[in-house]
Amino acid sequence: MAAVNQDNTLVVATTTAPSNSKQSQPRAKTVDSQSVLKRLQSELMALMMSGDSGISAFPEEDNIFCWKGTITGSKDTVFEGTEYRLSLTFPNDYPFKPPKVKFETLCFHPNVDLVGNICLDILQDKWSSAYDVRTILLSIQSLLGEPNISSPLNNQAAQLWSNQDDYRKMVEKLYKSPKA
Amino acid sequence: MVSDSITNASIHAAPNNNNAARDVGKKKRARSAKLKQCKLDVRREQWLSQGAVKNKDCKAEQNGVVEERKDRNNHRPFGNLGMRPGGGENDGSIHHHHHHDSDLDSNSPNSLTSSVLGSNYSETNFTGSSSSSSSSGGCCSGNITEDDEGGGDDGCLDDWEAVADALAANEKPKNPCLESPPEHDPIAQSGSPQETTIGSDGPSFGVENSKPQCARTIPKASGNGLAWRPDDAFRPQSLPNLAKQVSLPNSNRKHYGCGGVPWAYSGVVSAPSSCPICYEDLDFTDTSFLPCLCGFRLCLFCHKRILEEDSRCPGCRKPYEHEPVEAEASVHGGSLTFRLPRSCSLITRS
Repeated sequence: MAAVNQDNTLVVATTTAPSNSKQSQPRAKTVDSQSVLKRLQSELMALMMSGDSGISAFPEEDNIFCWKGTITGSKDTVFEGTEYRLSLTFPNDYPFKPPKVKFETLCFHPNVDLVGNICLDILQDKWSSAYDVRTILLSIQSLLGEPNISSPLNNQAAQLWSNQDDYRKMVEKLYKSPKA
Repeated sequence: MVSDSITNASIHAAPNNNNAARDVGKKKRARSAKLKQCKLDVRREQWLSQGAVKNKDCKAEQNGVVEERKDRNNHRPFGNLGMRPGGGENDGSIHHHHHHDSDLDSNSPNSLTSSVLGSNYSETNFTGSSSSSSSSGGCCSGNITEDDEGGGDDGCLDDWEAVADALAANEKPKNPCLESPPEHDPIAQSGSPQETTIGSDGPSFGVENSKPQCARTIPKASGNGLAWRPDDAFRPQSLPNLAKQVSLPNSNRKHYGCGGVPWAYSGVVSAPSSCPICYEDLDFTDTSFLPCLCGFRLCLFCHKRILEEDSRCPGCRKPYEHEPVEAEASVHGGSLTFRLPRSCSLITRS
């Protein structure tokens, strides 16, 4: 069926799709983009079927490599009642490399800086290709309530964390008027 | 032996080729659709059973469903063929699993013949022994397996049917359509709201398969073929239990998000049927490939890829041993095995 390329590793991966452009291009590229697509589609379906409350994500318009996600603050945390938008950008070698995840909503959190970068181990050195969008979002959601104070990106937030009442007020204040 | 049975199957299917020939264009589409469908079905069922239905209830209902289905068959033009396409479909999914080309034959409308059945039976020696073990898979397989096996249009009625039995009366006239193959079967969706949801919301970024929409629509129809449940009275004892293979990876996917613990668990219980990394089907070599003691399985391609990079198991993050644990001498079932597992460890070392 699908052409037997000199590089055997290609064949199985491409049998399900008509192989047009495969032969002419370097293997890594085509196989990657094919499998990344498949992976992302499957993830999207799994995510939609999972029915997790408090997290959601969907690709931007026609680019499945860029997703927008939302996370709601967990109950009984200072973030309860707030909702945060995130952007997820998937590299071409996803899932072997983690997606870039940023907060788009201002998030006052010890491990989130002012432009939304997140310091979370699984998005960096602790990444595993077995993680997916769902687990990422769940991880970030739990990070909200359980920050790692010892390596803060937002020192002010880290210092305030010990005072949960004040922290809550700060979160509310910033959430209502992100520009402030 | 495995390759033998595959061959048999394709021989049996061959007579249908004429009929199927004109469907050639649809083949690939339907095949990838079928894969998606399987996954979809499983997920939908999973979702359903999570929601409310317990295992027991499920089974109880299934018994009812069997009866129901019989009734239905009587109402259908295809009457007694009702069960058979399922067999054909089973057959088809085996083939799919091995990237075999003839799977679609069983899918073609004209193939609802005894020859399909024949090919189905010829598969029997293939994994006959596993048929009884489906419910032993613990929480992962349990009802999912059944659902999947029974899944499909007819099958999808199992849970669903129990809930919406009354509605089914309206569907009866439509059912024959469900029996007949895939294409885009909008009717199929009427049977299950979840399906519909996916169809509409569903991503159409199907560049890879190039028929994303089909993939979402067809699901029902092809799943429709899976006629037998493990506990179905009409199911031949010797039939291989494919549903197990199909369903597990999905449950894996579901579970690893939750805690990560289930990896080892599910890995031990049974090999998944698709790679958790790339979501492609695992072939024989893949399923007998156990690269890490933690039980995390993945396909050879992904494994190789990981070896080239950080060389840590995605399941436990421990570095892979240089020499992967090869569970058993893998069955190289025909032309589908292109690369020996060992070659990847060689590659790493060099």
